[in-house]
Amino acid sequence: MTNRFVVYMLCLALLNVGSPLVARAELIGTLQAVEATTRAQDLATVNATLARDEVRAQFAALGVDPAQVDARVAALTDTELRQLSTQMAGLPAGADALAVIGIVFLVLLILELVGVIDIFKKIP
Amino acid sequence: MRARRLACAAVLAALLGGTGCATRAPVLEPLAAAGLPGSVDLDGTPFHPQERYQCGPAALATVLAASGAAVTPEALVPEVYLPGRQGSLQPELMASTRTHGRVPYVLPPTTDALFATVADGVPVLLLQKLGAGPFPGWHYAVLVGYDAGQEIVLLRSGTTRRKAMSERHFLATWDRGGRWAMIALRPGDLPPVPDFASYMTAAAGLEAVGRAEDARLAYEAAAREWPGRALPELALANLAYARGDLAGAERGFNAAARRDPADAAARNNRAEVLRQMGCATAARREVERARELATGGPLEATVAATARQVAAMPPGDAPGCPVD
Repeated sequence: MTNRFVVYMLCLALLNVGSPLVARAELIGTLQAVEATTRAQDLATVNATLARDEVRAQFAALGVDPAQVDARVAALTDTELRQLSTQMAGLPAGADALAVIGIVFLVLLILELVGVIDIFKKIP
Repeated sequence: MRARRLACAAVLAALLGGTGCATRAPVLEPLAAAGLPGSVDLDGTPFHPQERYQCGPAALATVLAASGAAVTPEALVPEVYLPGRQGSLQPELMASTRTHGRVPYVLPPTTDALFATVADGVPVLLLQKLGAGPFPGWHYAVLVGYDAGQEIVLLRSGTTRRKAMSERHFLATWDRGGRWAMIALRPGDLPPVPDFASYMTAAAGLEAVGRAEDARLAYEAAAREWPGRALPELALANLAYARGDLAGAERGFNAAARRDPADAAARNNRAEVLRQMGCATAARREVERARELATGGPLEATVAATARQVAAMPPGDAPGCPVD
């Protein structure tokens, strides 16, 4: 009988399931209360712990110094972690204005190819 | 030949005109007419010329320095630069702002808010989408002024200390970039154009990463600015609870519930604190109100969990329980 009780308690502990014996406070945190009033709640279904692991893995894969990964993950709120874990590839990464030069080149190239201008001498 | 020229003109028009910069009405002129200064130049704003791909660290260092947090772009690179993306992401710029003890406040996505903020003396970090079509160029710059008469804006951008850009072109790039703009505030300072949800999100972010003292200053400023809202009082009471001050937390949640009697979170938290204080009668009454208010909302499950714990309390009240 005692053994059964011990096994039951161990199972609870392993599963980290709340039991009536270990009542824990359930205060609503401020960020959670903010999310409840904004559209951020759409993301609230994403498990924060999983999101943290996911972002950590993505940072490492994107070349962040391993010594920096934990500090960078720790600086993000749960809301931001959920956003990054689900949308990182789609988020804009602000870099620099050099792409504009690419556009100018493209326009010049089109003009060259259709014969309006003649500045790239090697292109027939 | 003539047909070819026409085709080229069409291609050019598609590339340039398709970005929506051709048909925009002036924005600065009416704003100036409505009371903003005709021209602003925050010339004292520091300038950090960017290294390759690193406009994120450079622009962030600029707004942090303007808020009095001296930090170099080089020091920010390990915090915000993502080598695999050759750039920086918005959430990390906000995270880094918090790391340096500032409140990362995201502006309402309106031109009014943008220009009113810079007119109030606060440089604005913003995201632009340059380039076009298959060649987008995402770029962070800092808005430091404008001139309504000349229809230009002034930016700290890339390697240019004072970049003048036509108002129409600038607004088109900001619009295409998703109208994202943020400022760095000292904790306790309110933004020139205060938006409640945006400010509280920024303040709660400080608490979430362990900067409770900075968060407290921000919550107190919010409590003064928005006296009709429950959330700032709730936030301060949560801090009191985290310090272990049950009585102070109970009073704070009560104050929050008085400011907004329909706030389920304040009543839920008060019920839980009353339970921990051994006040069964008041806890039961409060959790019942919380349950009515939370029904069908995002907090329903949390309130139900509190209600179960309150229901399991032994009856009777400890000495000193509030009577209300």
